[in-house]
Amino acid sequence: MATLGFYFNSNRCTGCKACQVACKDKWDLKPGVTWRRVVEYSGGNWVANTDGTYTQNVFAYYVSVACNHCENPLCLQVCPANAITKRDDGIVVINQDLCIGCRYCEWNCPYGAPQFDEEQGVMTKCNMCYDAVDAGESPSCVAACPQRALYFGDLDELRAEHGDLAGVAPLPEPDITQPALVITPHRNSAPVGSNAGMLANPEEI
Amino acid sequence: MELHEWALVIFTTVMQMAVGAFVLVGGIHLFAARRYTVETADKLSDRALIAIGPVVVLALLATFFHLGNPLNAPRAISNFGASWLSREIVLALVFTIGGAVFAFMQWRKIATPVVRNTIALVVAAVGLVLVYGMAAVYLIPIVPAWNTIVTPISFYITTFLLGALAIGAAYVVAYWRMRGNEKAEKETQFEIVAVTLRWIALLSIALLGLQFVLLPVYLASLTANTSPAAAESVRILFDQNGVLFVLRLLFIFLGAGVFSVFVYRTAATSGATIRILGSLVLGAFALVFVAEVIGRYLFYVSMVRVGI
Repeated sequence: MATLGFYFNSNRCTGCKACQVACKDKWDLKPGVTWRRVVEYSGGNWVANTDGTYTQNVFAYYVSVACNHCENPLCLQVCPANAITKRDDGIVVINQDLCIGCRYCEWNCPYGAPQFDEEQGVMTKCNMCYDAVDAGESPSCVAACPQRALYFGDLDELRAEHGDLAGVAPLPEPDITQPALVITPHRNSAPVGSNAGMLANPEEI
Repeated sequence: MELHEWALVIFTTVMQMAVGAFVLVGGIHLFAARRYTVETADKLSDRALIAIGPVVVLALLATFFHLGNPLNAPRAISNFGASWLSREIVLALVFTIGGAVFAFMQWRKIATPVVRNTIALVVAAVGLVLVYGMAAVYLIPIVPAWNTIVTPISFYITTFLLGALAIGAAYVVAYWRMRGNEKAEKETQFEIVAVTLRWIALLSIALLGLQFVLLPVYLASLTANTSPAAAESVRILFDQNGVLFVLRLLFIFLGAGVFSVFVYRTAATSGATIRILGSLVLGAFALVFVAEVIGRYLFYVSMVRVGI
């Protein structure tokens, strides 16, 4: 069976957060729980030219991130209750009936995907709208994107078509978890681990 | 920091103290049994041993406050094959139950001393592995402040430092509470207490030295780490919690250093009274306990993940 993954084109994203809201709406997520988040990364400064004038090189771009249904899901490996499983199609899901709410998966995920539901006392996470996927439809975030910046599909096909870049700043090194994610970087994007810019909307992440 | 994280501070600190106390009380007991008689050695160590029990139960109960869904708590051991968190819990349970079985046998003098000592040895070994297991839970590749050999080393320092001073305090209290003994017996017991306290004081001073070597090495490596997560951890430790950081160093220096020197010197003098010695040991224990709790609090708040 094909492994599913997300594709994100950073050049097309305007940071409108329709994906984030569509996800919150479909799964009725409580305040503080946001499975898909739109990260704003920005930086730049004044640069001195040889003729003594200055120009600025300010940049900003967006990266829409949810759970990347990693090929090496650390959350799944460390879960003491075996509450996280990976489906045949690669989708990583949490079974809330088995979860003990220890939040150890949260500590181990470099994408901040597993999030705690205070009311139920268990972890929650993007499940790639497996109900829609099983019915042959798209995840709600993908369906909602007005810029067509977000897609999902067979990971091998996505990589064949768009390359195998799986990280830009401020995302972590892809080697850690091998995310099922393909990114077309923004023309001003900084590489993983760069200190060229900073996360501009930490309160939203 | 939220309540569920305080539960972890209590659990890890107290459990490590219990492991250290169990291991050291065994060592002291064997030493005293060889020098005097088993009965003489039992008098103080039995009482100290029993004091560990409630402390461990308290530590285990604290973990329930850490869980969002405590009803599922028994499931926490499901992933023993891959998760250090499961292994930690299993080891903690084996140590607790094994320790309880041993304490009961020792109290009622069930089976021969050899059988009991063998059980104690196994429980002590499980306890020492447990301390590593506790540290391994925090060796998370995406948390630079935790993913270093300093984590297991400092957990072992807590184990032996806090364990030693706890045992020292327990021996003093046990001696205080001993009633109706003849004078010669009391003198022998006092000798055991005094010798034990001297060794505890030396151990504390040595571990304090190790701590003060380790800390700069740790901070230097964290500062040298280029990831924004490491920089944020440094900021949390110094800018945000600088006062606590200094207080912790001050308390541990006073307790494990200054007080321990006085304990060592007082225990060696012929005119030493249990009043002075006891006050010094209890003071050292209280100071180091507060220092370790602050240290563990700082450990948890310094947690910053790589990525987003």
